[in-house]
Amino acid sequence: MGLLALGTPLEWPEAKCKANQVRQWGIQQLLAIWNRAKGKEKDALLWGDEVEYLVVTYKKDDPEVTLSLRQADILHALAQDEKLCGHGGCVPDLQEVAYVLPFQCIGSTDSRRETALPIFHPEFGRFMLEATPGKPWGIGFRDLLDVEPNMKLRRKIAKEHMQPEEYPITLTTYPRLGSPGTFTSPYYPPSGEKLRSQFVPDEIANPHIRFPTLAANIRSRRGRKVQVNVPIFKDKNTTWPWKDPTVNYDLHKWPEDDDVRQGAAPDNFIHMDAMAFGPILLALTAGTPIYKGFLADTDVRWNQISAAVDDRTPEELGEKPLKHDRWRILKSRYAPNSTYISEDPRLRKEYLDPNLIIDPDMKQQLMDGGMDSLLATHFAHLFIRDPIVIFAEDLNELDLSKADHFENLQSTNWQHIRFKPPPTGSDIGWRVEFRPMEIQVTDFENAAFSVFIVLITRVILSFDLNFYIPITKTDENMQTAHKRDAVLEDKFYFRKNPFPTRYPRPHSASGVQSASGTTTPATISRPPTPSGPVEDEYAPMSIDEIMNGSKGDSTNDFPGLIPLVESYLDSMNVDVETRCELTAYLDLIRKRANGSLWTAAKWIRSFVQGHGDYKGDSVVGEKINHDLIGAVIDIDGPGRKNVKNVERFLGPVVEPCGGSK
Amino acid sequence: MCWNLFIAIVPTKANLYITPLHLFQSLPKYHLFTTTGLNKDSPSGTSNPHFSSITPLQIDPDQELFGNKASTMTRLILSTSNIMTGGPSIIRKPGADRSNLELTNSLRSNFLAAQQDYSPISSSNGNSPDSFEEEESLRRPPASIWTTRDGSDYYIPTIDWSMSGLAEEPSQYDITAKLFYLPGADVRDRAQHTKDAIQLVLKELGVDSINLLIVSFPGMSFEGDCEWEADKKNSAQGNDEEEIASWPALEELYDHGTVKKLGLAEYGSEKLSRFLNKVRIRPKVDQVNVKDCCNVPPPLLKLAKLENIELLVHNDCTNILPSGTLRELLGQGVRGAGVLSESKRGLDGMKGDLLPEWVVKYTAVVRDRGVIENKGYFAAAQLRE
Repeated sequence: MGLLALGTPLEWPEAKCKANQVRQWGIQQLLAIWNRAKGKEKDALLWGDEVEYLVVTYKKDDPEVTLSLRQADILHALAQDEKLCGHGGCVPDLQEVAYVLPFQCIGSTDSRRETALPIFHPEFGRFMLEATPGKPWGIGFRDLLDVEPNMKLRRKIAKEHMQPEEYPITLTTYPRLGSPGTFTSPYYPPSGEKLRSQFVPDEIANPHIRFPTLAANIRSRRGRKVQVNVPIFKDKNTTWPWKDPTVNYDLHKWPEDDDVRQGAAPDNFIHMDAMAFGPILLALTAGTPIYKGFLADTDVRWNQISAAVDDRTPEELGEKPLKHDRWRILKSRYAPNSTYISEDPRLRKEYLDPNLIIDPDMKQQLMDGGMDSLLATHFAHLFIRDPIVIFAEDLNELDLSKADHFENLQSTNWQHIRFKPPPTGSDIGWRVEFRPMEIQVTDFENAAFSVFIVLITRVILSFDLNFYIPITKTDENMQTAHKRDAVLEDKFYFRKNPFPTRYPRPHSASGVQSASGTTTPATISRPPTPSGPVEDEYAPMSIDEIMNGSKGDSTNDFPGLIPLVESYLDSMNVDVETRCELTAYLDLIRKRANGSLWTAAKWIRSFVQGHGDYKGDSVVGEKINHDLIGAVIDIDGPGRKNVKNVERFLGPVVEPCGGSK
Repeated sequence: MCWNLFIAIVPTKANLYITPLHLFQSLPKYHLFTTTGLNKDSPSGTSNPHFSSITPLQIDPDQELFGNKASTMTRLILSTSNIMTGGPSIIRKPGADRSNLELTNSLRSNFLAAQQDYSPISSSNGNSPDSFEEEESLRRPPASIWTTRDGSDYYIPTIDWSMSGLAEEPSQYDITAKLFYLPGADVRDRAQHTKDAIQLVLKELGVDSINLLIVSFPGMSFEGDCEWEADKKNSAQGNDEEEIASWPALEELYDHGTVKKLGLAEYGSEKLSRFLNKVRIRPKVDQVNVKDCCNVPPPLLKLAKLENIELLVHNDCTNILPSGTLRELLGQGVRGAGVLSESKRGLDGMKGDLLPEWVVKYTAVVRDRGVIENKGYFAAAQLRE
């Protein structure tokens, strides 16, 4: 979760006054980083993954299931585990460090790296826990094999530091978060000062001052509460029009309680009002069909988080004429990317967003400092936002060896792919964070999707592939991905031909060496000029076509991402055991894409609709919730065979691979 | 003179290949080629007759085949250049089994590319003639402008060595070469073939050593639905004596430091243990193609573990370049390069008896980033004119 500095946070009106200073200092810090790290090339590939757990309190025979708010106690238990900390694993955030850098607990000696245990981090929700590997993964195929066991180990260690009835589960959201009644332990009443939510108590948020301040200042900047409305799934007995029965129109405790009386909770939508509710792979990993105890008509969580941290004012939203604010802003701070940043000659200007809002002064400063136009545009776009949480202590003096002001804006711009400069004072390189995927129920699935993304990046570099489409089409894809069963029913814009144009041999041998591996070859005697309308370059395709390739009946001839990965693997020296494991991962993704296996969203829907207590009215009651959580706990263990429809979700139980014996 | 022209259509899941077959009923002057090597869907399932049994028809020794001069030998050196940016031709089709499509497609596209690149830019000439094939062969630039003859070596296409080399320091790469000894070649020539192949790879990549050299001997496979049975069957395949006799050439490369690690392909447990007892420098790698990589024959797994031999996966066929395929690639057909004559029309093609000898595949991977920077093939064949 980025930045967790300690200090005295400014309340919004005061923070607003300091926003410009933070932005200016942030740009100067960014330029300092840029100048230190712009020559950083040819680094080894290292990568990592983050798994976020919900902690539930579950007993088989007790119908009451709750979210455990003991995050702090669990993290303390983990931090005090000497064996864990002695071997690289730890809880760095409890040691009051200024920044949380990924992998900062890496030991200096190799032996320590070998045995590095996972690292645990707090998250916004007090019922959440985040874990990362104790050392970054490399690209060696053996490392790819370590991912899944490491994820299992993380879950095991987490569980060992919990009470017996507490479980770390990997659902995207807790199905009954915000439902009336008790859904946390201990119980707290809703409608606290910080969140001012009708549905969740302030205590749901991490008590670390950064988190409540973030929520309060977002609300304060907006001038009202955040509004998260999800369409209700209309089942056969769902009353229509449907009014969210959990909304209390008569609450008069906080000024924001007027929001629902002013139309914040429209008919046929599940209404949420706090941050705690907080494109192709999004649809493919879909796992969020339930909110606040109701079946929703969407499958993924992206837009809900986007709305939950949307700090735009009515002027920025275009609801009022611009008077105090500088510009209209089309997207939330949590939104798909709006910029391409590569200097690849194949990036046509037609792909860029013509309506992109940037701060021209910021862009000029960055370009004057030596940054190229595309990257400067990217950061000048991020810097149209205000910093939300400002600590008074940080405003005394600008320290160019730090990145706190830059990170303040960078880490509160939640784009689906985040480009991260090297952290200061370390040898970590440039990083790219791939953020849209939903967490999967099992470690096997999470490992499969993580490894797949890493392999795809290697494939793109090796085959020099081009997947550019106009960036606004990505926004459309992102919306499409929300639809129920989009993985099978919908189409996504995708580039038809990803292959590079052949570079002709120079007629006279110039002896220029090619510089492939990271970029396009430098030997261009007749550079391939992009021709034809941009609209002809892409087409709507199903997830199946994108992942598995065009079939005979398609007008496209797309090779498919999975065949591309297989072609890459065919060219590498891969041992039988690794290939066996990778085949299982690719199989899962192939089958999710072609519909022979269900997404988590579909499995959860089917679980609810097939439950004896379900009345066909879109309501996910406590008993259903209890049994669903029970199934989620069972599915990764010996109880798997008893879980309903597990074969349609994860496939038949495969015997352990022969390669490992 | 009597000509019978047959078209063999070999459907695969993804492609149709049309091969002209020239059958000479009464004139035994040419080889009979059954079909191309692209037929992975052979109905016989386990063994593929097209790969293993393409044998030329008997040549009548009393006939002068190609003119009146005494026959001379030319070594054809075919190359693909870097195929990583070669586009769709090398992408595996869904469900595809092992095949030599990657080699044949990338040779074909490199020939085409060279013809385009080395041709003077010409304006297209209006209407197309009646026969597409006719037009193709007429439009094809003469072989002399895109190929190179150097003594008895004939490079198809011309290799521009100034374009060779890797982008970063050689130490940054894992370079693997896999050498296929083809079935028709003389076993006694393998030492020379090995040197020739490795020399070309070193020159192409601009390095003086490679990390791993895997050799593939003819006639070996892991076939069969049951992995135990496949391992048993494998024991009787190939030719132990010839294989062991070929090994010293590789050991020499190892001794010189040209190759850091040696490897074998398609060795089952019994063959492997016999082999290990007979050689001075032991292989560190055994590259196998099993139907399901999760079902490696347990005896082989056990032996590999015991002897510290890495079992790697591959997707190649052993007889990667049958002579029929090669003739089609170089011939006058629609999909041929027009280098080799196959009819009395002759054009500017060479004529003769064609014998593929070896193929080497090379791959250079930027080790720390897992990026394949350069991959390609060289193939050598003997042409008796």
